[in-house]
Amino acid sequence: MKSNNTVLIALFAALIVVLSLMPPIPLPGIPVPITLQTLGAMLAGAMLGPLRGALACLLYLVLAAIGLPVLPGGRGGLGAFLGPTGGFLIGMVVGAFVTGWLARLLAGRATGTWAKLVGYVVACIVGGIVVVYAFGVPWLASVTKMGLPKAATAGVVFLPGDLVKAVLAAWVASRVERVWPMLGR
Amino acid sequence: MMEPLYVAGRSPLHRLPAWLKLAALVAAGAGLFVLRDPRWLGLAFALAAILVWSTGVTARAVWRQVRGLLWVLLAVGLFTGWFQGWNDALAVVLRVGAMVGLALAVTLATRTSDLIDVCERVLKPLERIGLVDAGKVALALALALRFVPEIWRNFQEIREAQAARGLGAHPVALIVPLIVLTLKRAQEVAEAIDARSP
Repeated sequence: MKSNNTVLIALFAALIVVLSLMPPIPLPGIPVPITLQTLGAMLAGAMLGPLRGALACLLYLVLAAIGLPVLPGGRGGLGAFLGPTGGFLIGMVVGAFVTGWLARLLAGRATGTWAKLVGYVVACIVGGIVVVYAFGVPWLASVTKMGLPKAATAGVVFLPGDLVKAVLAAWVASRVERVWPMLGR
Repeated sequence: MMEPLYVAGRSPLHRLPAWLKLAALVAAGAGLFVLRDPRWLGLAFALAAILVWSTGVTARAVWRQVRGLLWVLLAVGLFTGWFQGWNDALAVVLRVGAMVGLALAVTLATRTSDLIDVCERVLKPLERIGLVDAGKVALALALALRFVPEIWRNFQEIREAQAARGLGAHPVALIVPLIVLTLKRAQEVAEAIDARSP
């Protein structure tokens, strides 16, 4: 099984592309329609583990950087990285790593179905939201020179959608885990 | 659906070597951060716009790339204008506009394969100390490109199958089978590659 990891990383990067290109979903009570791109990052970490998950996200970003329209709305190229929201892209890689590490730590050791689900939720919230925002918000603040508190206020708009995505990712991860166990591999 | 953003052409920007364009972009990005005067930033923005235009790109393709950014810029501009004055707001909008414009120009005028070549050259020193395997990186890139249309087709098929059974097109119900299919396909592909390699 020499090329197993390489193939998993590549196909998961392709999956993140497909999730990003799906039409955005409007949710009741949330001002911005959610795109599934960050869901892909959380899932990559939760399913593939820290290293492979982070590499899948990195590969996805490389595809975007070399000029393929793989970001939500068919965007791509280096402009997306230098723009105000570039930090959220870079944050995906570290976010997937932390999600994967926490998922192995919490959900990997949990025994009951609910305990596993809670483990995944915690992993996705810390890795997919806290870590991603820790990169995205300072980046937004420095590109626009608006200062950290104001940038953080602007980021709050996306928080409800991201919380929904974290729970969704956790639910999906625990469902897939039952059909196709990945935690030990 | 996976057509690169590259526009074929013979403009001066097309003819520059890819590494020079990337190095210039990094330098310009750093330079723009230091500039505060809206007049200089306006000049940089104009230069970026001319470069984008010189690549021969259609207005529609540019619009597709920048329409999402316009809302962010508008919000940031109003926010900064309200709290820090309109001079600062103008500077911020021009700075971000110039940066994104320059990067877009490089993307439009540089072949995907040339950018991959630069990546490879950057990776070379890392390969020598054993951190990365260039062959594996190339394989991963090729596989990801190859499988995007296939996974997209899987997504459509699952959606149609669920619609045929009277289920609404809810993306949530699609993701679990889509991931299982992807993981399964990954295993098949890995086995096929290993069976053929010595």
